[in-house]
Amino acid sequence: MTDLTERPSAAVDSRTMSNLLVRVGQERDRQAFRALFDHFAPRIRSFLLQRRVPKAQAEDITQDVMLSVWRRAASFDPAKAGASTWIYTIARNQHIDQFRKAKRAEQMDETDPSLQPEPAPAADDLCEMSESAQSVGAALETLSPDQRQVIDMAFTEGLSHSEIADRLDLPLGTVKSRIRLAMGKLKTTLGDLV
Amino acid sequence: MTQRGHVLDDTWYLDYAAGALASEAEDVLVRSHIELNDDAEARLARLDQIGGSLLEQLPIGEALPFSADDLLDLADATEGEVVESALPAAPDALSDVDIPPALAAYLARTGVKVKWEFLGPGLRKAVLWRGDADERLWLLKAEPGVSIPHHGHNGSELTLVLKGSFWDGEQEYRRGDVEEAHPDIEHDIRIDPSGICVCLALTCGKLRFDNPLLRAFQVFTGL
Repeated sequence: MTDLTERPSAAVDSRTMSNLLVRVGQERDRQAFRALFDHFAPRIRSFLLQRRVPKAQAEDITQDVMLSVWRRAASFDPAKAGASTWIYTIARNQHIDQFRKAKRAEQMDETDPSLQPEPAPAADDLCEMSESAQSVGAALETLSPDQRQVIDMAFTEGLSHSEIADRLDLPLGTVKSRIRLAMGKLKTTLGDLV
Repeated sequence: MTQRGHVLDDTWYLDYAAGALASEAEDVLVRSHIELNDDAEARLARLDQIGGSLLEQLPIGEALPFSADDLLDLADATEGEVVESALPAAPDALSDVDIPPALAAYLARTGVKVKWEFLGPGLRKAVLWRGDADERLWLLKAEPGVSIPHHGHNGSELTLVLKGSFWDGEQEYRRGDVEEAHPDIEHDIRIDPSGICVCLALTCGKLRFDNPLLRAFQVFTGL
């Protein structure tokens, strides 16, 4: 699985994405959906691959997520969240649902090499960002490298704070205090969104 | 009076936002809390924004084996079969509680029956789920003014108020608030006299009472 070599596409205006999503919700605009699909569907698959989801299953879940985007777009409120945030939460929730179902059926073999995570994109590559992503990027910039590392591991690999403590061989309390400090800074820089 | 925030430790919101909570029971409790508590909602919204921005930055990879039009055809073919928005009705046993959507959805999905059982004088419980290591998700219904005597916990416990309020010492916990109990903290719980209190709790390990009579009593109630 070394095919994820393309760089992220050029910066996309987050307002454009939100407008497309609103058009899908209000007008069932198929052209708008195609544009959203082209932008988000491949990234949803990459997100799932990072979370150790085997490729075929990752593509199935990507289908389900994009179908939900089409069906639920009317409930998207651009005043509350950007399109990427809204779609991220759908992808996260559907991944958890699938993961819990699979776990109930059969314990996942953690040692299977095909289930090892894709390498996360290096921080240096994360430069082309949309407008709202720029403010989030600026917010992340205010974190210390230690704090940033914990947040990155949580989101890219889907690790819990105790799993992060194990991985970094740190006391749980150290990881917890990094998270609390990071959350405090993010509150200052991102403010109240809701 | 030093008012503790009645939200969870930030680690819970990060684990939730990352999709890394350990069990469905934790998902349900944390989601329900977020649905009822503005502060918690704001914390999650900030984290979700990070999730969205990291999604934007992921690589595209090779072409997908399906197109947008494939999905639109599939959506057309199944239109009307899928009802994603309708919220399931609350069960009769909870008809007097305005339950959060996450709990309603959990009850509907699992089909678990809410059956109130005697727990102690003025106290009833309804167990929704039991996991490994003595973990359980349950509902507590307490009459106004009832006390739960001095106790500690052998494990951890999250208690989310769905209706009414309770006091732990000088702290009042209202609808949407969560109390996070750990083995080293002792509790004296009093239900507020103004009305019935209903909570959703996720407990790991037994409660630990100082009073030997209450310890004997535990055998029958399973608290």
